[in-house]
Amino acid sequence: MSTSESGVLATPQRSLLNRLGLDRFSALYLWGAFMIIFGLWKPDTFLSMTSAKLVLGENVSTGILALAFLVPFCAATFDLSIGAVMSMSVVTMCFLSDEKSRSFNMPVGVAAVVTLVVCTLIGVVSGFIVVKLKVNSFIATLGLGQVISAVVLKISFNRQITGTFSDTFEKFGRNQYFGIPVVFFYLAVAGIIIWYVLEHTPVGRFIYATGGNPEAARLAGVKTDRMVWGSLIASSFLAGVAGIVFSAKVGLFTAATGPNYLFPAIAAVFFGASQLKGRPNVAGTFIALYALAFGIKGLQLVVGTDSYWVNPMFQGATLIIAVSLASQKGIAKIRKRKVQTT
Amino acid sequence: MAKILHIWSLSKSFPGQVALQDATFDVEEGEVHALVGQNGSGKSTLIKVLAGFHQPDPGHNVTMRDEVFNIGDAAAAHRAGIRFVHQDLGLVEAVSAVENLALGFGYRTGFGRRINWKKETLKTKQALLDLGFDIDVRVPVAALGGAARTGVAIARALQESEQNISILVLDEPTASLPGADVDRLFNAIRRLKARGIAIIFVSHHLEEVFEIADRVTVLRDAKVVATVEARELDMSSLIELIVGRKVTAATVNRSIDQSLEPRLRVTDLWGLGMNDVSLEVRPGEVLGVAGLTGSGRDTLIPMLSGAMERLGDVSIDGATIRAGKPSAAIAAGLAFVPADRLRNGIISMMSVRSNTTIANVARNKTGLRLNHKKERAETQDWISQLSVVTTSSEAPISTLSGGNQQKVMMARSFRLDPKVLLLDEPTQGVDIGAKEEIHAFVDAAAATGSAVLIASTDSAELARLCDRVIVMHRGQIVDTIVRGGGAMAQTIDKVLLAGSSLASN
Repeated sequence: MSTSESGVLATPQRSLLNRLGLDRFSALYLWGAFMIIFGLWKPDTFLSMTSAKLVLGENVSTGILALAFLVPFCAATFDLSIGAVMSMSVVTMCFLSDEKSRSFNMPVGVAAVVTLVVCTLIGVVSGFIVVKLKVNSFIATLGLGQVISAVVLKISFNRQITGTFSDTFEKFGRNQYFGIPVVFFYLAVAGIIIWYVLEHTPVGRFIYATGGNPEAARLAGVKTDRMVWGSLIASSFLAGVAGIVFSAKVGLFTAATGPNYLFPAIAAVFFGASQLKGRPNVAGTFIALYALAFGIKGLQLVVGTDSYWVNPMFQGATLIIAVSLASQKGIAKIRKRKVQTT
Repeated sequence: MAKILHIWSLSKSFPGQVALQDATFDVEEGEVHALVGQNGSGKSTLIKVLAGFHQPDPGHNVTMRDEVFNIGDAAAAHRAGIRFVHQDLGLVEAVSAVENLALGFGYRTGFGRRINWKKETLKTKQALLDLGFDIDVRVPVAALGGAARTGVAIARALQESEQNISILVLDEPTASLPGADVDRLFNAIRRLKARGIAIIFVSHHLEEVFEIADRVTVLRDAKVVATVEARELDMSSLIELIVGRKVTAATVNRSIDQSLEPRLRVTDLWGLGMNDVSLEVRPGEVLGVAGLTGSGRDTLIPMLSGAMERLGDVSIDGATIRAGKPSAAIAAGLAFVPADRLRNGIISMMSVRSNTTIANVARNKTGLRLNHKKERAETQDWISQLSVVTTSSEAPISTLSGGNQQKVMMARSFRLDPKVLLLDEPTQGVDIGAKEEIHAFVDAAAATGSAVLIASTDSAELARLCDRVIVMHRGQIVDTIVRGGGAMAQTIDKVLLAGSSLASN
């Protein structure tokens, strides 16, 4: 009790940092800075519609994968298997609908349903390991991810697989409406659904409560086990969706497909969690995702042909800088306490 | 006795709020000086200014041993020999007392920077013996009892330049201690006093003030109301000073229809520290549970609510409820307030609103959608009913004081209209004003026909609220005290003491 009585009701003097919202809106500022810097540097390429479209479309699978990471993360549960689940999804799609190499040759719709069932079942398994076997989610999903990768390698013989899909399916992935890649709308729809569930339904409240204080939530009647399990199923399902969208858009499987998307997805969620409300949330995740994406695109244009290293360097460095900006709030508070002389 | 610290007209204001106004306060050599007041009365601010955590407003005049003292400067306070032990003690739980002391002062090293463990251990052992604690200083602090842990924290605060220590500030040292541990701590305080060290003692437990304090300073609404010799006060005059009006203990006048079937029926309950307990509570009845820590008093409510595993039958209105599932218990009409508010009660990152409604979010649903507006209105209603002090229903619950957090916990339970209400230490760490309000709400819950069960270490509280009190010892009910026999609190205390002397024989 004794710590709160003076500090709370007082409205602290707002520092410059605070007033500008550098902490809660750092991603937006960063995004703006990238647009200005790269816009001045490479005006004809960076500021063109083509590159904007490219960035919007290229990051859809990453975005859906970020949503997959976000849902259990709100319940303070990690799902690190989503990268592997995504590659499972892609390889299953290619494998089931491939006319030449194997005998399945399923219609693409059926293949997609089977793929989603497979991915959802993986979520059931990871939920079982976390909830029933009581393995820490970080370890459980890290381990499960490796097992899934092994299965994927076995199916694919560690080779590149080209999916032979119907024209309709390729349109599903490559069309444009109003000049915007159609896949972007899929991301938007998925984002709106997750946002609605998290912010505007009791289930969302329960998920955040589970993430905030699992024991208190359980004692208040929240079925916390069900929340953790359910969120892991949702994340595997979403990772499956990310894989299907990738198949439709790119139509090609390589061993790096899933895992390479894991870090950017996680980075967007972590960075996004420091934005707006200061907790994991959909809008923050999307803002962070595209701030990073436009930054990378700009840097790639500047560096030119050998820009293969730009991606990880940029993702890693910006994540650290941006999140540390957000925690400046805490540092500023401490500093103020020391200096305060009234 | 010689005055060592003298404070005149000390004020501290924060933007929009005066936390301490024109306080005058002094400390004599070797006295125990109690500092009491409700939450927000300014006593924490006074302590924090003294510690140099806050800087005071200009215009004050402070002397320490007749020299001008630069209050608000942590280093000056340290030089002047003022030491602080805060409520959370600040110990590293996983390591031993020896290491905890060394962490504060640095290890004495021998050849090759080798830590001289033998010397360290002896030194720590002696420091604790001086305080009256004969404990194993090599086990992790977490394994020690509450009083011994406080002892370690005091020893750490006092080490180095012992002669120089003049004032030790203990901020709510007894807040989480069971009765027997309080006595051990008081024993330590008396030893310090004998060494000429003045103690500033902050506590919500007024009976402790009478037991240990020489003088009492009362704060109210940011002002010092009075500094009085403890022996010139009695309980009711002290309470009047603290709250600023006469508090007449509400007399409970409940009539329980004995012909009604019990609402809550517990049959053959077994579990951790629980040996075959059966009990019944009728609608409108308030049953108290007294007992020392470990007697079963502390595990009864967790077992009934589903927080802890149990064997045996628990039923509400004849319907058995599943063990180990709080959600099932709540669905069956049970609501409860856990004892450890921070760990098991509040969800600190969430708002007052979310914390209030979490046990039944669906009530404010329109279709599939959560109706935020309706939920806000409902929370606002609870805030005004329980007079919760908060900036709004959207404020994070972590910004509220302990008493107000506890009121939110109450609201969370009351809004379920429970058939059975279980309260575990409902007023622990809550100031006397909020305590009265919480008690009034317990009365109201009983009046609407809830069966209420309260476990508490505060005998006066049980006497105030309960129609019957069961006393537990070694997992069994050893006595039942019924209202009407006069002096209920004293009877409870007597039985508790008898129980503990049985244990030691």
